[in-house]
Amino acid sequence: MSTKDNNFVTAILITHDGQTWLPAVVAALASQTRPIDKVIAVDTGSIDSSTRLLESARISFITTDRNCGFGDAVALAVKEIPKQVKKTNEWIWLIHDDCAPSAQALEKLLEAVEERPQVAMVGPKLLGWHDRTHLLEVGVSIAGNGARWTGLEDLEYDQGQHDGIHDVLAVSTAGALVRREIFEEVGGFDSNLSLFRDDIDFGWRLRVAGHAVLATTHAVTYHAQAATNERRSVDVEGALLHRPLLLDRRNAAYVLLANSSWWMLPWLSFQLLSSALIRSLGYLLAKLPGYAGDELLAVVTLLIKPATLIKARKERKTKRLVSSRVISVYIPPRWSQSKNAISGIVGLIRAKIFPVAQNKSTSVLQSLDEEDLLVPAKNRQWISLLKKPEAAGYLLLTLISLIASRNRWGSISGGALPTSPNGASDLWSSYFQSWHLVGLGSSHATPPWILILAISSMFTFGKISLFITLLFLFAPLLMMWSVHRLLKKFSSNRFITIPASFLYAISPVALASTNSGRLGTTVLLTLAPQIPLILSDWKRVESNSLRRICGLCLYLSLCAAFSLVTVVISFGVIAPAILIDYFTFKNDSNRDLFLARLYRRAALLFLPFLILAPYSFEALAQPLRFFAEPGLAIPGGTTWQVLLANPGGMGSMPLWLISPTVLILLVSLFTSSAARTISQYGIIFISCAVIASVFSISFHGNSAEVSVWTGTFLTVATLCAVVSGVIILDRVRRVLVSSNIHYRHILAALLLIFTAIYGVTSSGWAILIGADSPLHSGHSTVMPPFLAAEPDTKILVLREIAIDGNKSVQYYVSRGTDIYLGEPDIAPSQIQEIEIATQQLIDGTGITSSKTLAAYGIKYVFVKNPFSTSIIQTIDGLGGFSRTSATSLGVVWRVSGAIGRLVFTSKDGVQHVLQSSEPDTAITVPGTGTLTLTESFDRSWQILQNGARLPRARNANGLAQFAVSGPGEVTLVHDGTIRRAWLSFQIIIFTLVFILALPAGRRRREISEQELS
Amino acid sequence: MIIRRPMIYISFLALSVLSVSFVSGNTVNSNYSESFPSVVCPQKLSGLNSQVSIASSKVQFQSLENRSSKTVPFKSSRFTLANNSVVINAKGITPVVWQSRTGSWSGGAICAGPATSQWFVGGSANVTSRGHLLVANSGLSEAIIDIATYSENGKQPIKSITLKSRSSTQISLDALAPGDRLLAVQVTPRSGRINSFLIDEQGAGLKSLGGDFVNAYSAPAQEILIPAVPNQIISKGQKSSSSHMLRILAPGNVDTTFSAEILTTDGRFIPVELSSRAISAGAVSEFAFAPEIAAKIFSVHITSQEPVVASISTSVASNGHKDFVWSTGVPELTPMSMAISGLTPLFTFSGDSISLRISVTFANGKKVSKQLKGEDLVAWRAPNNSTVISIDSTNKKTYAGAIITSVDGYGFIPVQPGSVLTRVEVPNSNIRVLNP
Repeated sequence: MSTKDNNFVTAILITHDGQTWLPAVVAALASQTRPIDKVIAVDTGSIDSSTRLLESARISFITTDRNCGFGDAVALAVKEIPKQVKKTNEWIWLIHDDCAPSAQALEKLLEAVEERPQVAMVGPKLLGWHDRTHLLEVGVSIAGNGARWTGLEDLEYDQGQHDGIHDVLAVSTAGALVRREIFEEVGGFDSNLSLFRDDIDFGWRLRVAGHAVLATTHAVTYHAQAATNERRSVDVEGALLHRPLLLDRRNAAYVLLANSSWWMLPWLSFQLLSSALIRSLGYLLAKLPGYAGDELLAVVTLLIKPATLIKARKERKTKRLVSSRVISVYIPPRWSQSKNAISGIVGLIRAKIFPVAQNKSTSVLQSLDEEDLLVPAKNRQWISLLKKPEAAGYLLLTLISLIASRNRWGSISGGALPTSPNGASDLWSSYFQSWHLVGLGSSHATPPWILILAISSMFTFGKISLFITLLFLFAPLLMMWSVHRLLKKFSSNRFITIPASFLYAISPVALASTNSGRLGTTVLLTLAPQIPLILSDWKRVESNSLRRICGLCLYLSLCAAFSLVTVVISFGVIAPAILIDYFTFKNDSNRDLFLARLYRRAALLFLPFLILAPYSFEALAQPLRFFAEPGLAIPGGTTWQVLLANPGGMGSMPLWLISPTVLILLVSLFTSSAARTISQYGIIFISCAVIASVFSISFHGNSAEVSVWTGTFLTVATLCAVVSGVIILDRVRRVLVSSNIHYRHILAALLLIFTAIYGVTSSGWAILIGADSPLHSGHSTVMPPFLAAEPDTKILVLREIAIDGNKSVQYYVSRGTDIYLGEPDIAPSQIQEIEIATQQLIDGTGITSSKTLAAYGIKYVFVKNPFSTSIIQTIDGLGGFSRTSATSLGVVWRVSGAIGRLVFTSKDGVQHVLQSSEPDTAITVPGTGTLTLTESFDRSWQILQNGARLPRARNANGLAQFAVSGPGEVTLVHDGTIRRAWLSFQIIIFTLVFILALPAGRRRREISEQELS
Repeated sequence: MIIRRPMIYISFLALSVLSVSFVSGNTVNSNYSESFPSVVCPQKLSGLNSQVSIASSKVQFQSLENRSSKTVPFKSSRFTLANNSVVINAKGITPVVWQSRTGSWSGGAICAGPATSQWFVGGSANVTSRGHLLVANSGLSEAIIDIATYSENGKQPIKSITLKSRSSTQISLDALAPGDRLLAVQVTPRSGRINSFLIDEQGAGLKSLGGDFVNAYSAPAQEILIPAVPNQIISKGQKSSSSHMLRILAPGNVDTTFSAEILTTDGRFIPVELSSRAISAGAVSEFAFAPEIAAKIFSVHITSQEPVVASISTSVASNGHKDFVWSTGVPELTPMSMAISGLTPLFTFSGDSISLRISVTFANGKKVSKQLKGEDLVAWRAPNNSTVISIDSTNKKTYAGAIITSVDGYGFIPVQPGSVLTRVEVPNSNIRVLNP
């Protein structure tokens, strides 16, 4: 071991359960081109064969306790090394038992410091142990939030891009060469940092002591990072619960707080805490609660024991020669951290969207066949795209959609779809408000689809009307795309799947839904085909992971948000499945299997219901709401229409335009393929739709009963028919091609002809007649603008509405404007007294109608044109109504009396309206009496006077009445605590399910070596 | 086995359809409220006597000018009216008002519900005119009424009046078209619950020339039937002493031609003076005719190319003084009831084929039914002490009127319901009314 240079190098090898890597490490040390002058090992209580390996390698070693830290072990070794007298430069080379230096490592390290006497420590380029092109470190620093900063990308490939000698804050102790006298001068490694970050701390201390630290990439070391990657237990003192992450974070905080300038400490503390919180949240989302706890515990354990820090800062102060700020150039700027984080996220998303294609090895001979070689290359004409079924199908449907939507350019409404509000903010506020100014006021829970719509409208910069227009315009294409994704699983023949998808998009239920503005069914038609794709095996549901089940729960919640009947359907499908599982369990007594299935099925049944709370809970109180479609209550079709898979109602196809849905289902029943099972479901759903069609319900602000909309049932039935048809055709095609003509050919031909006729006629109908459906743009407003001028005015609106061609008189209480999206869903049921007053208003017997309307705060009566003149004269003739205007929009009367939101009645019975009766504003009450709130009665309405709640009662009209004991200021309040509680519950449930549905993070010990390297 | 399972599903579907077809029914969302609107009887002009015949003493009424909306019973089946109009809750039995000026004239009218348009063909605005248009607003809101007057000089400027709630007014006919002799008046309320009545009273100095109510039309028509025109025969050898004047107006913009056919119990004919006569649009025309018939009463069937309104004025002598009767067209007869307490009207029914069942309720509560049949014209006088006559059933295209005689003069009343059963659909609460 003789060397020509002036250096004496002692390699200090620290071992701790390192038998896996130690042979390679020892071999690496032995093969150095610049021989090591002395090797000494310190074993920190290894329980494996590390010491035996050292002995066999004839390396002298010292044994210490198992909880001895790295720094202490090094210090112990240094003490054992005698001082050299001959050579001037004495070095210690720190070697971990999981790092193997390349043969030239020591030589290159010494080369780097040869001309640089100011350098106290030099480190090599660290590469991965398994993947030796994986660049781990070329020097290291620490970010303001405590993160270990290497300046490298994750899994960066080493291709020499960082080669050179770099001035750095610190280098990893794995393979670092340290000048011995300086090591001793600065006091070695901090004994508080038994593992992790001791290198950065040491580098920092060297820097402020006036020394330099270098990283040279000419020297290479391969590092397994065993402790960081949890490949061995961390037993050092202070490592709580043997958790490396906790120790790493604690030490990071220690390094920052012990070495930074004092005036930086508050900011650093805040940064450490906030970043720990954010990282904890990230770990929680990745379902790694242990890591999340480590993050927080690390900072907390340090901050609650400041004495250690104070002592450390004092020690550093004695050895500091230059300001701590000298290291600021090595601290990474915040933007570079953000850039790296964003880059990482983008990379993840990119990897999800564009997964790395499998290498398909194709033979050169395959691609270069004879024809290709002989035929001169020519550009394909774009028209040839049309010969592809995908292009032709989507193009045709786009054309049909565009032509059929010619009356739907602009803000659309009509049918079941109310007018869109101005912006998404209206929907947001509607969702979070506890009181809605609809009719006489409502505290109903806003349906969750409002929130989904508000979020989705971000794509159109919050313009709800634009989003709705685009949704209905592209709905057929989305339906086609969605169902085609499913059909591709059943057939690879695009000439079958594309026409089938096209037929789904122009099915009777699809056309009726879009034409009548049925938002719920339109969305469901797009979402439904994905459910079978998410849930791979319904019978053996246990084969689906919990994460997949939670994902499906979220998806079902989305479906149920738009169509609550989905919950009923789920119940109808899941409950029998649980029963079958139970009987299977009774037979085979496989309890684990039964429970695994039960948990999953129960989750699918209940979680969507809980996620949609409180809307779903309100539906429990009024079960008919399960069958209510979002928007206005308009009738569905007749039983015969439904039997032909046509939901009927406004905008639906006529009865004579028969779709092949039921025929396909019936034919599929007689096959022996999977189509048979699917068609059985289809028949069940058609039957359910037929049964449902006979019922009539009253909902969403319509007191009249309308026949149930069966669109949701028929969506499933249509989907079953399309899938069955594809399966049959795919199978039959092969049989027919290889057989002579017989009855199957004729049957198949008839079915195809029938389907083709439907495709042509329904497309024609959609273009010619469907375009004039109730859903279109350019509607004029109902309410005259001047009625909205008075804020919060209630107006009784009378209008003749045509239902199924018959006009009938309808009424509702308006707040000055037309209704907007979501308002029918939360509309309160009408009060009987108002109903009677309105009836008497029309039949001319309503002498007291004005008094009744005034009692409920209805200030105006508006009869919308066109309307019978005799009724106008009848109202003219009744007392208590004075005509205020008659325009082309209609006639307006003012109702006599003191009318307002809050009416004060003095003891002597004199009434007057209190001005400024908006909630949460102070109103002055003149004296003792009663305050009547002309809103629907709700327990959350309160009036506060001098901080105390006024006693509330219900008057003869069912309105809230408050007893005022004296004059003074009162405040009207609608207490939204219950709504907030429900929203919190919903957020918690959603977050939990969302986290469970997210891809789970893995502990480092669970990641394979190959992936890590 | 292959067939069994599919058949189960098909049976399930079939069973669903079958079960549904048993319970299926149309959803009826329309409910109706039926009521007879209250009717209004005209106020009494100064110096007149006015009685109203009602079905029973329990019928409720309220005086129009009384601010209270409380109703009280009549306590008599024939009630003498004061100066105010009255609102009667007649419940489908049309009250008849009979007004008279002692020793001068008498006339009758039916009390009716509010009308959206009323046409009066009669009256004059010349020096002999003492007639009035009576307008009552029985509503609780202020009313605005347009009065359009037509005369032999064409259409006069529309006059609009405002009438307070629960009030009535009277407008002199000579104020509507001063100096004009032949009047036709259209009353159109723009707002309010309005009834109007027209009294044509004539006099020369202190001498009364008679008077009568001019009953109202609802709208002009191309076919009008005036069911009861009195034909007074004074002495032997003289077939008819009455002079008849047909007043007619085509209110549209196009001149027209009309013919008037006279229907009697002895047959029908068109007098030469009323055959294919041309009239100018917008101008009131009058045609005198004197049919040589022995019948004391006849009816007139007018057909025109354009919608017209028409009445016939007949001069009669009563107890030695002159009077005249305005006979007006009536709508087709429908089942109805009319209160005739204290009156013994002579009913005439006109039509091609008359067949109707009429019942009479007497003061003692007894009820008698009678079947009337005939062609062209059937006359039937109500028995004494009858309080209500009811048309139980009738042929189509039958029209009816009544002539009432009293010591003060003659009067004509149209046999038509004063208020028809109003069937109003009970409105549903539906937020859809607020959606464009």
